[in-house]
This record gives sequence, structure tokens and C-alpha cells, in this order.
Amino acid sequence: MRPLTMKRLLWTCGALAGVLLACVVLALKLGAVPISVTDLVLNLGRIAIGRSDELPTEYRLIVFDLRLPRILLGIMVGAALSVSGASFQALLRNPLADPFVLGVSSGAALGSILALIVAPQFALLTPLGAFLGAGATIAAVYYLGRREGQLDSTTLLLGGIICASFLSAIIMFLMTTLAGRDLRGMVFWLMGDLSTPVPAGLRWIFTAGLLAAIGAIYTTAADLNLLLTGEREAIHLGVDVTRVKLVVYVSASLLTALAVSVSGAIGYVGLLVPHAVRLLFGSDYRLLIPASALGGAIAIVVADMLARTVVAPTELPVGAMTAMAGAPVFIYLLRRGLR
Amino acid sequence: MEFESSRDLTNRAEANFAKTRLAAPGRWVMLLIFFLFDAALPAQTRIAQGAAQSPANAPASHLFTDEIGRRVEVPAAVEHIVSLAPNLTEIVFALGKGDHLAGDTDFCDYPAEAAQKPRVGGPVNPNLEEIVALTPDLILATRAINRRETVEALARIGLPVYVTDPHSVDEMITSVEHVGEVLHAEKAAAALVGDLRERLSYLDRRIAATAPRRVLFVVWTDPLISVGSGTFIADALHRAGARSVVDTAAEWPRLNLEEIIRLQPEVLVFASAHAGDTQHDIDALRTRPGWRDLDALRRGKIVVISDAINRPAPRMVDAVEQLAHALHPDSFGRGGSPANAAHIAEEACACAR
Repeated sequence: MRPLTMKRLLWTCGALAGVLLACVVLALKLGAVPISVTDLVLNLGRIAIGRSDELPTEYRLIVFDLRLPRILLGIMVGAALSVSGASFQALLRNPLADPFVLGVSSGAALGSILALIVAPQFALLTPLGAFLGAGATIAAVYYLGRREGQLDSTTLLLGGIICASFLSAIIMFLMTTLAGRDLRGMVFWLMGDLSTPVPAGLRWIFTAGLLAAIGAIYTTAADLNLLLTGEREAIHLGVDVTRVKLVVYVSASLLTALAVSVSGAIGYVGLLVPHAVRLLFGSDYRLLIPASALGGAIAIVVADMLARTVVAPTELPVGAMTAMAGAPVFIYLLRRGLR
Repeated sequence: MEFESSRDLTNRAEANFAKTRLAAPGRWVMLLIFFLFDAALPAQTRIAQGAAQSPANAPASHLFTDEIGRRVEVPAAVEHIVSLAPNLTEIVFALGKGDHLAGDTDFCDYPAEAAQKPRVGGPVNPNLEEIVALTPDLILATRAINRRETVEALARIGLPVYVTDPHSVDEMITSVEHVGEVLHAEKAAAALVGDLRERLSYLDRRIAATAPRRVLFVVWTDPLISVGSGTFIADALHRAGARSVVDTAAEWPRLNLEEIIRLQPEVLVFASAHAGDTQHDIDALRTRPGWRDLDALRRGKIVVISDAINRPAPRMVDAVEQLAHALHPDSFGRGGSPANAAHIAEEACACAR
């Protein structure tokens, strides 16, 4: 791979942003109610010059209150999941690391189920419960993964898998014994679902948290490159390994918790997108992080577009779509990379 | 408050935009971000404006409190209804408002016209865009099968959603009255409700003297699933002079066959749209270990009733009558039998062999 220059970084990110924009336009166009691109541009223009009253009500409701917020949510969830996947892979120096392998999604699911049981009348508590559950699980897995004061990547992964199955068992127990009606939605949530719009207040918190966490991880990008060669080597090269690990671990956990709290458990993205980006553009984290964010966004926007349209008017959970499409893409990229 | 501030932001963004005129692509990005996050006017405002512009002098809308305590503002004239559950679809048709039903779910199969309506997906995961595209002025939902998130999402974009929540036969009838009020079909509702109550009180009088039969209501055989004591089906069984041997708070308990063999229900009750298919299943059960140890199955004490019992809608009373007649044939003289009694007796005989 050629060395990374600022020019190549900008070109790659620009190209990915272009692809993302094309996907967004396509996703806006396709859906239960088809919309022509000309109309879309025209109406965006109308709103831009402040003449939004001229739009038909249903059109505005569908495109601007349902479809567009959902696409944007998909962009952010995709970016969050793949950046946190890329970060965990560097942190643990293990290509299998992924927020879901580490048990985070199960923790978030349990948290939101508990929130539903304790206070079913407060809808805002569900994402908060998911967030706390994800955070608590990450802390527990981190604690389990420490051996003799060092973070051992194999132990950590095993701890994550053990936590995930233990928490899944508790979830099954709760869903069987408390077969209350409000837990019905959990089935969708456990498979990943973007169909539920996020309340306006939460969107801003979500965006701010997302940008802060990705920013924090990006500041350590150069250190992560060195960390990949080995912890001891990185220390010798002057990297403050403890600080880098802490920053990345907390930020990546925050990203996962944010994503899971609004969209449920969407698998594969955190694992596949960073690997795909590595095979396409090399493994320099200064490029890998922004490219993964854009790639994850593209992956989720496309997956959700398919989930909405393939069996319309019924919807598939987006998690089923990412799993179905993810594996073949991964095999293709792997074989291409091997050649 | 929140909406006003976002509107201010939009205005400011638009003002800036007008000043600089496509100065930088950054502006477009800014603008796009505003749209993505509620920069467009909130739906509530829009609907309110729409109502203000309408020339009607009569009150443009009525305020209701639905069965889960939400406040719902419903237009005075409801022209486009979207039903998110099969039982609500049946109620809409029973009230004579089938013509105003703009859309329903994949599971709405009764009456036959319901299956011809535009579909908005399944009750648990309907397509919100499809619902909006049908321009409903009222959406009906029920707590037992629709998701809270769906109701909240529709309400947030300004569509009125009335949620019912019946837990018993009587509450189902009350729901019919409520839906009648919301749809402004009070007369039809009063006639329907009067008829249903009369039929139920006739049943009550007839079976008052008889001891309830101990039954197992079979929802599913693999695994065995029955109904909990808090469900409307348990109440329907009770109204038909039966008592479920299963006493649990869970709504759809998955049961251990051993426990059922210990309890030995007098009668097994199945619900089916096609008695023939069920007969086939029952024949298969007779040879299976565990099931064949049930006295009721060995002695052919089996009743197959209409699957209408699974839906809290007016037809449920038909199923209650069927069951009452099948379980307590001696309580009903020839004269007082409703039209479907003979059919039930036949069905019950066929199963009893």
C-alpha cells in the first residue's frame, strides 16, 4: 500500500462521501411511496428558499418526517458501529473483535427490557436503559479481560462471549416469565430495527455524543497504528499506551451504546466494514477511521433501504439484511485481498 | 417550545442562506442537516394550520381519551381510517364504516372485503410511510398486538391514533362503543352492543345453574401453549360455562404436558377457521405419547370452535355461543337455540366420534 498523504486521505473520503450521497438520494427515492429525483431536488429547493408551505402534507410527512430522519439515523448508527468495530480491533489486536462479540448488544437489550419493566410509561427511559446496560456490560467485560493487571485480548473476547450468552439467557428468562405485551417489540429490537423514529431531544444528544467519540478516537489514530505493531513496541516508540487504551475503550463503548440504544442490535457492520475498508484502502488508522465511518453509513443506508423495500409493505429488520448481505461481501473482499 | 425553537433555527438558516446565495457547499450541508433533523415544520403545526383553513363552522375535531389514557384529537368527519389490527378491522366493518377503511394489515381477513383493502404490513411492524400515504384522519390500534413505538411514532408526526385495550368480553363490547363514538357511528354501535349484551345475558341465564366444565384451551400444540387467566379468551371461556385448568398470570403460557396430564381437563377446546384441518391435527395427537394419556382426548371430549374467539371483536360472541352450546347442550332447549347451534352440535359430534 502506498504511504498515506493528505491528498489521498481527502480523495478517498470525498469519493466515499459521494457514494454515500448517492445512496441517500436513492434511499429517499425508494420506499412505500415512490418519489422522483427531480421532485426531490425541486422540493429541497423550495424548502431552501422558505416556501415549504407549497408542499403537499403527506409528501412532507413521508419524506421529511419519516424517511429522511430514518436515513440520517442509519448514517449515524452505521458510522458509530463501524468506527467502534475498527477501534476494538486495534485495541485488542484481534480481527474478530466487534461490539457484538464483546457482549455489548446483549447488555443493552437487557438494560432496555429492565427499563420497560420498571417504568413502561416513560418511553425515553428505554434508550437510557440500553445505554446503561451497554456501559455496564463493557465495564464487566473489561474487568473479566484483565489478567495480572494487563488487558489480555483472548481473555477479553472470551469474557465478552460468556457475558453475551449469560445475558441472553436472562433476557429469555424475562421474556418468558414476564410475557407482558410491551416486550413484544423487543423481538424486532433484538434483530436491529431503524423503523422507530428517535424523539427530537434524543437526536441532538446522540449526534453530539457520536461526533465527540469519533473525534476522540481520531486523535489517537497515529498511536493506534503503532499499537498494532505491539504494545511493548508502541511504548518504546513513545506512545502513552494506558491513555490511548482508556480513550479508545471509553469512546468505542460510548459509540456502541449510543448505536444500540436507538437501533437495537444490528450485527456484522462493526466487523465487516472496517475489514472491507482495510482491504480496499489499507490499514492506516488515520484513513481507516473516517473511511469506516463513511463505509458503515453507506452499509446501513443501503441495508435499511433494502429492508424497507424488498418485502414492502412489510418491513424486514435491518439486522437481518446486514447479516444476509454482509457474509457474501466479506468472502468476496477476502478472496480479492488474498490474490 | 422545542418546535418553536427549531423553527427559529430554520428561519435563521434560511435567512443566512438567502444572504450568501450558494456561497459555499458548506451552506448546503448545513441546510441539509437542518432538514434531516426536524427543520421542516412540525406536523402538529401543519395539521393545526390545515384545520384553521378549513371553512367548516362546526367543531373541526373532537377530543377523546383512548383506552390507555392518551388524549386523541379526532376530526369531526372521519373519512379515511387505517386499522392496525384484525379485531379493529372487524369492528369498523361491523359498525358499517367499512367504506371509510382506507387500509388495514396483512392479517385482516374478515370480512372478505377487509382482505381487498390496501395493506400497511403486519400489525407489529407496519410500514409507517404506507400508513401516511393513505392520508388517514384516524388510525385505530390495540395495545395487545401493536407496538407502543408504532403508536408513538404516528402520534409524533401528528396523526390521531386511538388505542383500544380490551381484557374481557365486556371490555370488548365497551371498545365497540368507544370506536363507535370516535367514528361517529353511535347508532350502529348502540344497536350492535345491545344485541351482543342481550345474547350474552341469555347465555348467562341458561348456564347459570350448571357447573363450569374444566377445559384446556389449546392455542398451539407444538409446543403446548394455552391462555393465562388474565386474557380475554379466559374470560370468553368463563362466559361459555367453562373454566381453564391453567391458572397463570402469563398471557400465553407455554405448558408442560405432564402438568396437563396431572390436571386432566374434562374437555379440550381448539379454535380453528377450518374444522377439517384441526380434525387432522387431533387425529395425529391421539397417537402421540403424553397426549394419548389425556382422558379428554381418549374419550373424544373435544370441541372445535370458530377462531373468532382469538379476536376481541363482535364475532367473538358467536364463538362463546358455540362453546356454550357444545359444553352444555342440556341447558339449551330446541326453541332457544341460535341459528348456528345445529352446526356446532354436528361439529362437536364429528370430533367426539
